[in-house]
Amino acid sequence: MSLIALILLPLLGGVAALFAARLGNNAERWLSVGVLGIGLVVLVAACLGGSPDPRWLAFSRTPWAPSLGVQLLFAVDGLSAAMLALSLGLGMVAVFTSWQTNENSGLFHAALLWTVAASNGVFMSFDLLVLAFFWELMVVPSFLLIALWGHGAREASAMKFLIFNAVAGLGLLGAVFWLGASAPIVTFDAFELAKLARPAGVQTWLLAGFALAFVVKLSVPPFHAWLPDAHTDAPTAGSILLAGLLLKTGAYGLFRFPAMLFPEGYLALAPVGLVLGSVGALYGAVMACGQTDAKRLVAYTSVAHMSIVLMGVSGGVHFALMGAAVEMVGHAFSASLLFFLIGAVYDRVGTRDLRDLGGLQRTAPRFAAVFALGFSAVLAMPGTANFLGEALVITGMFQVNWIYAAIVLTALVVSVVYATRLLKEVVFGEPGPKPVTQDLGSRELSIAVVLGSATLLFGLLPQLLMTPFTPAVDAVLASLEAVRR
Amino acid sequence: MIPALTVYHLLLLVPAPALAAFMVLGLAPVFLHRRLVMLIALAGGTAPLLAMTGMMGLCLTGQCRGVAPIFTLQVGTAIVDLALLLDPLSMITGMTVTLIGACVLIYSIDYMAGAKTADLRRFFALMNLFLAAMLAMVLAGDSIVYFLGWEMMGLCSFFLIAYNVFSDPAVAAGRKAFIMSRIADALLLGGLLLLFIAAGSVRIDALIAAGLALPEGQRTVIALLLLGGALGKSAQLPFHTWLPSAMAGPTPVSALLHSATMVAAGAYLMARFAPLLAASPDVMLVMAVGGALTAAFGSMTAIFQSDVKRLLAFSSISQIGFMLLALGVGAPAAAMAHFVTHALFKSLLFLAAGDIAHSAGDDTSIAAMKGAASRRPLAFAAFTIGAASLSGLPLVTAGWWSKEEVLDAVLGSGGAGRALWVLALLTAVMTAIYAFRPVLIALKPGPVDAHPHTPGLATRIPLVLLGFGSLTGGLLVGPVIRLLGGVHPEMPAYSVVVAALAPLTGLAISWQLSRSPQLADWLAARRLLRQGLQIDVLYQAWFVQPFQRLVDRLSGVHGTTPDPFGAAPVTMMLWLKRQLIDRFRSDGFDSGWMALAGTATPLWAVARRSQSGRARDAVMALAGGTAGLLLLGWMTA
Repeated sequence: MSLIALILLPLLGGVAALFAARLGNNAERWLSVGVLGIGLVVLVAACLGGSPDPRWLAFSRTPWAPSLGVQLLFAVDGLSAAMLALSLGLGMVAVFTSWQTNENSGLFHAALLWTVAASNGVFMSFDLLVLAFFWELMVVPSFLLIALWGHGAREASAMKFLIFNAVAGLGLLGAVFWLGASAPIVTFDAFELAKLARPAGVQTWLLAGFALAFVVKLSVPPFHAWLPDAHTDAPTAGSILLAGLLLKTGAYGLFRFPAMLFPEGYLALAPVGLVLGSVGALYGAVMACGQTDAKRLVAYTSVAHMSIVLMGVSGGVHFALMGAAVEMVGHAFSASLLFFLIGAVYDRVGTRDLRDLGGLQRTAPRFAAVFALGFSAVLAMPGTANFLGEALVITGMFQVNWIYAAIVLTALVVSVVYATRLLKEVVFGEPGPKPVTQDLGSRELSIAVVLGSATLLFGLLPQLLMTPFTPAVDAVLASLEAVRR
Repeated sequence: MIPALTVYHLLLLVPAPALAAFMVLGLAPVFLHRRLVMLIALAGGTAPLLAMTGMMGLCLTGQCRGVAPIFTLQVGTAIVDLALLLDPLSMITGMTVTLIGACVLIYSIDYMAGAKTADLRRFFALMNLFLAAMLAMVLAGDSIVYFLGWEMMGLCSFFLIAYNVFSDPAVAAGRKAFIMSRIADALLLGGLLLLFIAAGSVRIDALIAAGLALPEGQRTVIALLLLGGALGKSAQLPFHTWLPSAMAGPTPVSALLHSATMVAAGAYLMARFAPLLAASPDVMLVMAVGGALTAAFGSMTAIFQSDVKRLLAFSSISQIGFMLLALGVGAPAAAMAHFVTHALFKSLLFLAAGDIAHSAGDDTSIAAMKGAASRRPLAFAAFTIGAASLSGLPLVTAGWWSKEEVLDAVLGSGGAGRALWVLALLTAVMTAIYAFRPVLIALKPGPVDAHPHTPGLATRIPLVLLGFGSLTGGLLVGPVIRLLGGVHPEMPAYSVVVAALAPLTGLAISWQLSRSPQLADWLAARRLLRQGLQIDVLYQAWFVQPFQRLVDRLSGVHGTTPDPFGAAPVTMMLWLKRQLIDRFRSDGFDSGWMALAGTATPLWAVARRSQSGRARDAVMALAGGTAGLLLLGWMTA
């Protein structure tokens, strides 16, 4: 039952935040932080509490609508737990980054908490209909975040985000209905459905439906077009949730379900994933080199990194899968850090245009130091979780085909081009026409330190991630092994 | 899993002080007084030398081969076991790096005295981080710590070249260095990961063993990838172009990173993996020929330089070429001996040049050295010693002894070795020519001191120490080669005589050059040669500009064009919208209902006439209606 609390807490917390905002004194903010904090405690307790099945850290099954075969079926392993912790933790970071957002603050925090609630649902649902429900639900509050508190052409960007993700979500929904109806007794239980044999051709089509939803959310070219716009126009908290949670739901979905439900379909479509990922990794990196909007630049680095995750997920070998999982976590921290820092610059000077920025080194040395840390993470310096993830993916790619490894290595080289450009335009040089005069305050500095040290922590102590991820990786390999033989 | 501690775990203490100093200087969000900054930097810079000396003591007592495991992690079927390693190679390299590091950091106290406190802190933080990274790489017993150190060096190099963040050329030079070395690093990473897959372990000895067991084709590919990494880091052909630009960094940075230690890391890499490379004769030949060509190219280009720092940069390129030449003919011991002496005299040259440039108002051109002999006698003497050691003046200089070892190894390798030996001799002649050019110009009378002051102890100590080392370091060459297990081939007497004559010939030519202004002018006019055959320009045209055009084409000149690839699904969706939605905008059913509604219009027009608003019409209607009703009532009753 405690797993359900991970969804209900932020869901109801969001409703409460609507009213708490009237109390003043930042009540809605502290409420949100409290709810997310309790969520983390619940998560830890649930994982330590043990489960009947050794495969899962926590497991819960509650009937909901038996006649339709729908149940609340939640299971958490190391990968899910990491994603849930990321979602709750980055939710807190998002609250702290927007401490100054005052306009309609109740709804803002409600939308934020609802996004967390829905993505928590995605990260642990194994009833596919419930999964599809949370999948669609996730889009709505994030749409509000962009449309109501965004910048620039926020309505258009929010609509683009909504249309891309809602349309792609139909693929998932359709495939889930097909699956559920094809079972002898109507069920959406993923574990049961995984046991049923299906012809390879059917598997491929069903997987295509799943993959459409996941790949669009992952924003792999050519399905990435919504991401730069959404990131650019979203408020900082929205960008953090986008990069930290929403993109990760796509990666998580690709990691978890294709091999489990459609192992033969996975093997058939893996080359497509590898090629899409290869193109995306290079394309995203090259596009990042040409952007003049700082946030857009970082958005394209996300595209590149998520394409590498897709390659890892499609690799179907231990190192590649592990690398993809690690990269998911590493990217969540590094991208959040950069979005947060650029947001802080924007709050001060009202522009993100690289041509107008510059000189942080002179006017705001702390800012510059933290920026250098984010810079190191985005170009995957050894010692950051990003490097660990990418090195593992490259290792896996060498086992698949050296060409893919060479492509990721090339993307690593190009990452230096865009990362040094970002640093040059924002941190180096003389201060621009609108200099940043105010260095990071203690609240902002703590956020940056938390995000930065997380990147380093997981990079320097790889076992922190790799040990808990092993069961999930092994499960994927076991499903594939069964059909490869 | 934390393994049991051994005496070799003391190796952790070598990079630790520098890392700690970086953390305090670079990360602690507290104000530090200027003197405190310098004190911490000095402590972090010199403590590794003490720790390393202790390890050398351990080494000399016969326990010179030991591993300090750090932790072990199972990844699938592979094992990631990090460890530090003490062996003669890491001991000798580590001693050199810590010694040069300490000298350069002491020197920086004086040299950087003019910097603002914040900049000073940044500078020393990065220098200490670099030292920690380099030592981690040198002492690494596994490929992960090795690559961590290797990449961190590159990062520090970028930040230190771009230390003057307000200068566009400095920032551009930093980016160039970082991007070019990243290309090489990607090759190295590829090679290391391929070895990791083969070995299932990250320990370097396991990697070498697994590499040797691979089929020849794969082994050659891996050896080439590793060689690529070394060429990039060591600024060898064809990756050399970043090093001359990197001279935009402060002089202590050039002395420590871009000559003595980091740039020579490629030679260390090749020495570390020497057993693996030795099994690929083709790659060895490529390395030897590449090294010899780079050595000749670097020294020839150095002759035409007009800036002391650029001259020294091309000199580093050339001298590291010698090291790779020795490695290529299978003499890693000779290469590392040259690494040691080169580190001594090259850092000395940079530090002396920095002091002389200070006295000329921070002008680093060779012409500005005029009068240096009288302005800064100590620095001039140090520079002269460095130049003598660089040219390898026979017997009295360290450089001669190590270069002699290299030349003998090349000649002794037979076959192509003879041709390479001749090329190396020519290079030695050219080395003496360029090395003495600044010395001879410095002897001429020149302007008085721009900043007249006696150099402080912090300047004098390193100059004296390194000067002493550059002269007597030859005594180290024998022991170094013995420790590394190298053998000295028996050489015919003519080779020693010829090798000794080469630098003297070069000195004589340099002397002639300095006396004839026409010749000097002729040199200065050779633009193509001065710019290193304009390889830089070619790269700009071949790689940088096409990449820029690609970026511009994809994202617009200022990121204005919408993302072309991303637009594809949008276009498709719009097309679908036109087909599916716009076409049915006039819904058939809807028009049926609308037509039905439309029939109301004429009826309404008729009905409207009744609403004339005139009392007469109303009364008439009222009367008519009443009459009608009465009639209806009467008829139905």
